[in-house]
Amino acid sequence: MSYIIETVNLSKSFPVLKGFGEIFLHPFRKKRISALRDINIQVEEGDIFGLLGPNGAGKTTLIKILCTLVLPSSGSACVKGHDVTRDEKSVRKLIGYVISEERSFYWRLTGRQNLKFFAKLNNIPNGESERRIGRLLDFLELADDADRMFKDYSTGMRQKLAIARGLLTDPAILLMDEPTNGLDPVTAQNLKTLISEKLAGEEGKTVLFATHNLRDAEELCSRIAIIRGGEVGFSGTIRDAKMKFKGPKRYMLKIRNAHNGLTGIISNMEQVKNIMPMSNGSSGFTEIEVEIGRDAGGIQGFVRDIIDMGAEVFSVYEIEPKLDELFSEIVGAK
Amino acid sequence: MRSMSLMLEKPLAFILRDIIEDTSYKMSFVMQFVNMFISTSMFYFFSRLLGDAGTAYLGPYGGNYFSFVLIGIAFSSYLSVSMKSLANTIREGQMMGTLEALLVTQTGIPTIVISSSLYSFIWATFKVIVYLLLGALVFGVDLGNVNIIGAGIMLLLTIISFGSLGIFSASFVMVLKRGDPVNWIFSSVSGLLGGLYYPITVLPEWLQTISYLLPVTYALEGMRMAVLKGHTLSELMPNILALTIFSIIMLPMSILVFRYAVRKAKKDGTLTQY
Repeated sequence: MSYIIETVNLSKSFPVLKGFGEIFLHPFRKKRISALRDINIQVEEGDIFGLLGPNGAGKTTLIKILCTLVLPSSGSACVKGHDVTRDEKSVRKLIGYVISEERSFYWRLTGRQNLKFFAKLNNIPNGESERRIGRLLDFLELADDADRMFKDYSTGMRQKLAIARGLLTDPAILLMDEPTNGLDPVTAQNLKTLISEKLAGEEGKTVLFATHNLRDAEELCSRIAIIRGGEVGFSGTIRDAKMKFKGPKRYMLKIRNAHNGLTGIISNMEQVKNIMPMSNGSSGFTEIEVEIGRDAGGIQGFVRDIIDMGAEVFSVYEIEPKLDELFSEIVGAK
Repeated sequence: MRSMSLMLEKPLAFILRDIIEDTSYKMSFVMQFVNMFISTSMFYFFSRLLGDAGTAYLGPYGGNYFSFVLIGIAFSSYLSVSMKSLANTIREGQMMGTLEALLVTQTGIPTIVISSSLYSFIWATFKVIVYLLLGALVFGVDLGNVNIIGAGIMLLLTIISFGSLGIFSASFVMVLKRGDPVNWIFSSVSGLLGGLYYPITVLPEWLQTISYLLPVTYALEGMRMAVLKGHTLSELMPNILALTIFSIIMLPMSILVFRYAVRKAKKDGTLTQY
């Protein structure tokens, strides 16, 4: 199967700036810091792929390699079959890089003038550029503010203009670095809807975005890669990620006519790692959330035990682990 | 045909961008004209103070210090633009964050860097015209002898040879970010030895020899001869030849160095850092 983005054993190390003392004592010694090590990721066409990781994990470096702004030290990265080091021009035709940095625009130019300038640099003919810019401004609900200077835009409008710039060439792939950073919750939600419904849904674009916001990833991504310390800790679907979760399993139990000391007894049971009473019996039902260790015979044994204690278990269901738990597990394992 | 029109449209897009930005700072835009008038007036009064004292040195240029220095300050702006604007394009782009956005477009780095500096060259040309007009209309400099074709050729060669130095300078900025030695050497040495404010004949002989290693010496001398004395192309030939040789050697070399610098910055991951 061929992937729209694929990296094979991709590694990157950067030279470290030396102090005066070190330059004097060891002028020829080279110090390098590893930013990415043997990264293998595959992104399928039409995916919304999340690149997750804490600050400094190497997400931005990976995106910059895919954008041809940084050369890898070893390994390879291909965008629709084009190698990012050997075929930079073809790669740049395929991608739209959404740079969230608001300083990447010309502040004294209007939003429309900024887009026209970047359209010209992307070889879009004048007539076509007018049409595309008009369509993008409508699409991103910026048409009414298109002729205001960029400096007068709000953070959300700047982010939208960055997306418009990334979409100017109608690229098959959108690369985004922390697209919801600095946005208020409403604007961030609108942006996520835009990415999932319009860009990926209607337009069929492949979106790869870096974030450390796990809620964004959970809401948007079909697949994720979690990077920690320059290495891929996990890559796959969010469902796969949850299946691989090694931490205790969480269950919600609904118990009828629980006697007063039951939660205390449960919390002392060997297999129970944690217990959280959620509601306490005013309607005759008690709801409790329990964490059961994976090596403790499972939920069946636990339920049998509490039934033996006289509890009437009305319902039991498993609570899926949250992505941040999985994230902590993978990142913490480093 | 399409690629030909793009070759023109892209530089025009950069020029338009810079015009919009520059004229949006209205006060600064107006102040630049005021400054030109002030510096021209300053040199005019300075030349009145000198009177005929410099005639022995200024003879080959018509004998008048004001017209001599007017050409010096007018055309030296090309040197300063070449040395600074290309490197500044990189530096500003790195600091402002615009360089990254430019580099992911479908435009090559040489086009981006050269096109980004075009407005500065146009502005420098405009300043030269204003300086000459002020000199002729307000301060009575005689421009009746000007050899326009000769001056045009000198100007073109000046821009190309100074531009190659600028590309060298930009290469250093790309890698070192600050502390570019090319700019430092050529800007300071050209000011001292290139004949901007005084003829190089006032220098000791050994310094005169060094001054002939600098393109600015040939550019200013040729320009003065073409503008003030109306020298013919054959009379300007030594200067034209010197600048042509300089350009033929330095331009391809500077482009090679620049390509190496870009590759190194991409390898080091410092292309957009400052």
